[in-house]
Amino acid sequence: MRVSHEWLASMVELSGVAPKEVAHRLTMTGTEVEKVADFATGLEQVIVGQVVGLQRMMHSDHLFLAEVKAGPDDPMEVVCGAPNLFVGALVPWARPGTTLPSGLELGRRRIRGVESHGMLCAPDELGLGSDHTGILLLSPDDAALGQPLSAVFPQDVVYELEVLSNRADCLSHWGVARELAACIGRPLQSPDTSPVPREGQPLGGLVQVEIQDTRLCSIYLAEGFVGLPKDPAPLWIRRRLLAVGQRSVGAVVDLANYVMLEMGQPLHTFDLEQISGQGGVTSVVVRQALDGERLQGLDGVERRLDTGMLVISANGKATAIAGVMGAMDSAVTANTSSILVESANFAWTSIRSTSRRLGLRSEASSRFERPLSPHLVPAGSARFTRLMKETVGVSPLPAPCVAGGLPRSAPPIRISSDRISGLLGMTVTADRAAEILESLEFSVGRDGNALSVTPPSARTDVSLPIDIVEEVGRIAGYDTISSTLPPLRQPPPRVESGPPLRLVADIAIGAGFNECVTLSLVDSVMRPPVPGMAGLLESLQIGNPLSTALGALRTGTLPGLLGACQLNQARGRERIRLFEQGRGFWPATAGDRPLEPDLIGFVDLSVEDDAEESAGRLQKVLALCQALGDRLSLQDTTFRAGECQGFHPTRCALVVSGGLVRGVVGEVDRRSTAALQLRGRVVAAELRADGWLTPGGRLIATVELARTPPLVLDLAVKVPVRAELGAALQAIRALEVAELEEVRVVDEYRGAQLGEGLKGWTLRLVFHDPNRTLTNRQGDLLRGRIAEALRDSTGAVIR
Amino acid sequence: MTGDDLQALASRALEEIAGAVDLDQLELVRRRYMARHGGLITSVAAELGGLSGPARALLGREFNSAKGTVVDALAERQVTLEEERAGGGLADEWLDLSHPVHHLERGHQHPVARTIREIEDIFTRLGYTSVAGPEIEDDLHNFELLNMPPEHPARDAHDTFYLSGAAVGWLYRTHTSPMQMRTMLAGAPPFRIIVPGKVARRDNPDPTHNPVFHQVEGLCVDQGVTVGDLKGTLEHVARELFGAERGVRLRSSYFPYTEPSLEADVACGICNGIGCRSCHGKGWIEILGSGMVHPAVLRNAGVDPDRYSGFAFGMGPDRIAALRYSLRDVRDLYENDMRLLECF
Ligand SMILES: [Zn+2]
Repeated sequence: MRVSHEWLASMVELSGVAPKEVAHRLTMTGTEVEKVADFATGLEQVIVGQVVGLQRMMHSDHLFLAEVKAGPDDPMEVVCGAPNLFVGALVPWARPGTTLPSGLELGRRRIRGVESHGMLCAPDELGLGSDHTGILLLSPDDAALGQPLSAVFPQDVVYELEVLSNRADCLSHWGVARELAACIGRPLQSPDTSPVPREGQPLGGLVQVEIQDTRLCSIYLAEGFVGLPKDPAPLWIRRRLLAVGQRSVGAVVDLANYVMLEMGQPLHTFDLEQISGQGGVTSVVVRQALDGERLQGLDGVERRLDTGMLVISANGKATAIAGVMGAMDSAVTANTSSILVESANFAWTSIRSTSRRLGLRSEASSRFERPLSPHLVPAGSARFTRLMKETVGVSPLPAPCVAGGLPRSAPPIRISSDRISGLLGMTVTADRAAEILESLEFSVGRDGNALSVTPPSARTDVSLPIDIVEEVGRIAGYDTISSTLPPLRQPPPRVESGPPLRLVADIAIGAGFNECVTLSLVDSVMRPPVPGMAGLLESLQIGNPLSTALGALRTGTLPGLLGACQLNQARGRERIRLFEQGRGFWPATAGDRPLEPDLIGFVDLSVEDDAEESAGRLQKVLALCQALGDRLSLQDTTFRAGECQGFHPTRCALVVSGGLVRGVVGEVDRRSTAALQLRGRVVAAELRADGWLTPGGRLIATVELARTPPLVLDLAVKVPVRAELGAALQAIRALEVAELEEVRVVDEYRGAQLGEGLKGWTLRLVFHDPNRTLTNRQGDLLRGRIAEALRDSTGAVIR
Repeated sequence: MTGDDLQALASRALEEIAGAVDLDQLELVRRRYMARHGGLITSVAAELGGLSGPARALLGREFNSAKGTVVDALAERQVTLEEERAGGGLADEWLDLSHPVHHLERGHQHPVARTIREIEDIFTRLGYTSVAGPEIEDDLHNFELLNMPPEHPARDAHDTFYLSGAAVGWLYRTHTSPMQMRTMLAGAPPFRIIVPGKVARRDNPDPTHNPVFHQVEGLCVDQGVTVGDLKGTLEHVARELFGAERGVRLRSSYFPYTEPSLEADVACGICNGIGCRSCHGKGWIEILGSGMVHPAVLRNAGVDPDRYSGFAFGMGPDRIAALRYSLRDVRDLYENDMRLLECF
């Protein structure tokens, strides 16, 4: 919302308070000032001139030649394209040599053979709003010939405010002035709402008002005015409206807008003749719209309404969407001579949903969609009535119509100054608290340190003791509270839940992989070619997506990582190693919480299409998975051949630990690589950390450091080429040979002498007995048992 | 033997050391004088045993000095002779700095993960524990228990992604605050937690918004926690993240789940609070929202607001990373361009 400095200054004395100070104080207390802009600057050189002669220019269908004078000198000719000039009009004239606020410098110019002396200006050319429909016309009451325009439009400053969503009261100059008064410690002069004398026929004899559901409209007040003059609203009103960006459209509507911007209460003006029937009393009803009822709004658009929307109907016909927009046919026009002025309070939830569903937001609805105080209804109406009398000289009709009523006032809020001090962390005496609250127009009762507080009626956001603490804190200023740290009364607990993010990242980064973060949202239509651990699980769909490209939740990390490969390859990278840790989202049975596995994805792409090279990279990724398992799992980790969507059928392994599949490692198959528009070969892995890897990792059990010499024996065996070492090692472990300290493969070979389809392993066995030196004979026996286990598990034959 | 005899012996040894032309000759000299058994100098030690009183002390000093001199001379001559033997004083062995330095094949941290780690470390030092919460939430924990009933105007700022199909009724959390509630409901005060994680809001992507982003929630609930404690904590965090000389300010704000509510700004890194183009003339850049936990929220969590008070805050590590590392567009953080990652 925009507020004018000059307008605020009519309610709180601002002499000596610079706009920068105003902006700072408002920002610190919660009403953030987004921008401070000058209004009506640089108008000193533009003068008030009068059109004394006007003719169409030859050879032009839109240009006029105006004779303009600004004093006793001879008039000068100015070429002008605006359609609203007339002889006698007072206009802003920028003579040659003048610089306009935009920086444009004017001179003499020949236009179609005529010398034009400067220009006549439209409001936008003067920085007075955005209107460019015609030259700014000045009234003889406001402007004198030859006067600088800066005398007619004194300089002002406009603040652009971001009003907090609970502060409906600050959507008005009055509310902002109340804040400012408290901030700078000066009194608030509220707008004059005192009653004016009434004249004429009682309104009650012309109009009756009824509310169908007081939950949707608690109070509806209507004032009538007849015999409206054609004059515009006075300049000071129009000037303030202009400063905050509101166009002037005639006295009645200008005054209604003025009251809304000043008091925060939106008013609606109906042309009384248009809503009245053929004689008799006009029945105005606040009711729900009928299904399919239609209404053409002020903006000319016809809308279809339904029972969820609130309307104002006159004699049975909807003539306004309550709180949102009036109908075209009851709108006030230049010919309107009598009006009905509505001041009402509607349920904000209803206005909000109507405005949403119609996609229609107006100045009125943007206020009504927050909890406005019903007490603003009589205040706004009274302010309008007074301004009508003061500025256009029209008195209200007697007996205004009222339906509904004001709520009973809430009991005062009770709080002690000790409680305020205790929560703020600084000493606030009862006197100081009362002083602050009173500066915000709260009324405060005192009993020692106990305060009983009643907020001003406009402050619908204050109802609890904690609200009072906030009021005191923000006006006292948070900068006056000393900074402390809460004492740690209890040591923080150790938490071993959650994925071991840091350890995994450290190990992966150490292995040369770059950490990635990708979005949780993925395309809802395209199936990822390499889904990873999720396999063929369906993805969860977003009901209200921004686009189909972000229309589903990812099931795993690999699609995002492969997307990042694509981006990096397109940007010239030949080797790309990435990893990501994050959640996948898997469907549960209907109604249950969806599953959120903690996943770790790895990709390693090389642009080379070389099977041997990629086999080497695959081995390294296996080693990485092994290292993660060894460091962070309570159980042993092994690999076995498996198949997985999107992976090379014979270059894919499942990671197994504790009897469960914990991950998949392999080379991405050619079809998927092509589908992803990647060149080269990609090794990928995805691990599921939850239930497997823990931050604490493996329970550390130290081994006995035997002092006796070890017995080292090698065991050379022949196995089928696709034998799995994991299975072999598991079989050896299952023997539980206490003396076996270590077993590892020290040599691997193939050759014709081994026979078709066979390969050789040389296993190094390290035996140790802490109590005795093992003899070769004892070692041979142990080796024999191990060889047997190998034979049974992998078909190994001793060589 | 007298002290003079010993000195003469040492001088003779030094002459012979200097005269040795190769390592073999030097070894012979060493043996002659310094052999453990029968070396001309080492055997003097045995003589010392037969002396007593001041004479023994005197000769002992002379002996140690002579032996030290000879040992040093032997070592030095040995190095010289070894270098000579290697030819030209090791001139062919040198650290070739004309080669480009090889790249260690290390990976890099993601800027957001790095920022979250730093934030975690700052809070761990203050006694907080980092916990993770579900990213899929229900309306109850994401909104209602946090004092945002249906139709609450503050829900506007939380434009929410709702799941459909079998998961209808679930939503992607719009903030990490639901974990405040889950933590409090599961335990008893005092609480000191932070909750880093992903959140999502239905905002169209632009240079300052991404539909998915990270938040770090914080919650501290105990007896007697004050706005001053909140202020001290946030100022500390801002200074840790942005430097001690950087201005920090707290201004009043509104969130339904905190009261009083405060927003923390740091001074613009370019203009330091004066206002420039990069901060849109404001001089300050918003980094987090915070406040004292609303009594209604405490009550919803089963914590008695008359006995306990606390504060909560939520910060955006994406935005903090963008500010600290001068990134113009937060969307760049999710592209994972290796040229960016390799800066970390
Ligand atoms: Zn700046």
